[in-house]
Amino acid sequence: MSALEDTFAWFRAWGRAALFASAAAAAALSLSAYTARTRALAIREIYFNAWHVLPGFTLFMALLSMVVIRVTIGLARDYGLAQFALELVFRAVVLELIPLLAAFYVALRSGASIVTEVAMMRISGELDELFAAHIDPYEREFVPRIAAAAISVFALTIVSCTVVMCVAYLVTYGANPSGLDEFARTVARVFGPRAIAGFMLKSFLFGAAVAVIPIAAGLDAMRDHPESVPAAVMGGMVRLFVTLALIELLSLAAKYV
Amino acid sequence: MERDGFSPIPKNLQFRVGLLLGLAIMVAAGFILYALYARGTFEATQRLTLVSDNAEGVSLGMDLTFSGFPIGRVVRISLADDGRARIELEVPRRDARWLRVTSIFTLERGIVGGARIRAFSGNLQDPPLPDGAERPVLRGDTQEEIPRMVATLRSTLENIEQLTGPGGTLQASLANLRAATERVSGRHGALGAVLGNDEDAKKVVAAIERANALLASMSGVVAKTDQRVLGPGGVVEGTQRAVDQANAILGELRESLKRVDKILADAQSVAGNAKSATQDLGALRAEVDASLRKVTALIDEINRKWPFQRDSEIRLP
Repeated sequence: MSALEDTFAWFRAWGRAALFASAAAAAALSLSAYTARTRALAIREIYFNAWHVLPGFTLFMALLSMVVIRVTIGLARDYGLAQFALELVFRAVVLELIPLLAAFYVALRSGASIVTEVAMMRISGELDELFAAHIDPYEREFVPRIAAAAISVFALTIVSCTVVMCVAYLVTYGANPSGLDEFARTVARVFGPRAIAGFMLKSFLFGAAVAVIPIAAGLDAMRDHPESVPAAVMGGMVRLFVTLALIELLSLAAKYV
Repeated sequence: MERDGFSPIPKNLQFRVGLLLGLAIMVAAGFILYALYARGTFEATQRLTLVSDNAEGVSLGMDLTFSGFPIGRVVRISLADDGRARIELEVPRRDARWLRVTSIFTLERGIVGGARIRAFSGNLQDPPLPDGAERPVLRGDTQEEIPRMVATLRSTLENIEQLTGPGGTLQASLANLRAATERVSGRHGALGAVLGNDEDAKKVVAAIERANALLASMSGVVAKTDQRVLGPGGVVEGTQRAVDQANAILGELRESLKRVDKILADAQSVAGNAKSATQDLGALRAEVDASLRKVTALIDEINRKWPFQRDSEIRLP
């Protein structure tokens, strides 16, 4: 395969992912997608992606952020910039690091399984059977998974962010309620309406990408060709990583550039 | 594709997922409410506009501090028609009591960090600042001061460099000082340092030695002179004798002068006689003058009484 063909294939794969994303969005907007079966599937996915991992993930995030916050606040005090330490922690850890890590965590945990699952459905001819029976696989199989991934990322992000903010308070002021006023002022300075809206939008895009890109990659597998599964999984995971990084980059650029 | 073989799906799946979703949504809503509360959305505020010629470093959400405590925040920055910056602040009503009509506002920029807006109230008994008040803000900018300071410092450093550099005056002075101290510690000591070179110092030393020799010979001369002048048959003795003789001569002279005095007294009496004789001569002359006048008058009388006599010649006797 020449380099030119490689490039074309790369563009085609991205194009298919974009097409799939718009088709999935259209399917998600149609009422017929919300049936008992799809709901059950979505609930099962949320359970596995979010509920199952919530304690471990939150604990991990609390530990990680505790280290980062201690280092940040200690350094800021050394440089005489203690008044900016908490704001820095909010902006760097709460607004950027945790959503990105939550998205990566869900992508690693469920993205790989989704792409394999869809590729296997493709190879076994399950999808073709659904089409033959006039059942839309988007509504029945894909939209619940996408919704579940988005909700999982959102839930993990929100819960961890809240815990990390508590950790930040405790690290900065200790168990002393007199820091609440200053804490509230810093929150007010960082979390303006634009920041909150951008945070929500970014979390939603992370969640959607975590499901959409792997499913689109799984559809790249060819029927009766089991050897195409590893290539589909690899391509899907790389594209997912690039997409998440791009979303983060764009959000940073929109906020600070 | 089923996952039942790997991990069992619990019976109350729906409840658990619902709980998680509910929790996430509640936390999100709670956080948004907290952020709104922190931003003072639920609090009565009053407006304050600060006017500055430069709002550099001021950003939205910045605090207005009083005694180090934030009491308000910047909500809007705009450029007025007169080209001045208007910084609009929101101050919660409960904190507005710290602001009085006489309050002063400053905008300071440090080297590190953003600008700071501070309020100072000198007298808290003054009437409170009304809502929507407009006040000028005093500016102090460290960053603007730095270039000026650096320029001054640079010229100072240049001066110091000129003083201390190679060929500089300080170095020349130090070199001179070193040469002087070397001379002081040299063979001729401080004399060499004072005179500048060793040859002159040598001359001075030689001159002192000669002066010493001269003084030694002088003392011999003085001893001899002493003997000649004060010794027996010396000058002083001779002089004493001469003085005695002079005294005797003077005594004789005094006698001679007394005699001259007497002669002079005689001469004075002779002169007195001559003087009185001279006074008699004056009276005589006056008498002659009077006789002449009488003769003249007589002739004039005769001339009047003798009209035919054309000859006016008068023959004096």
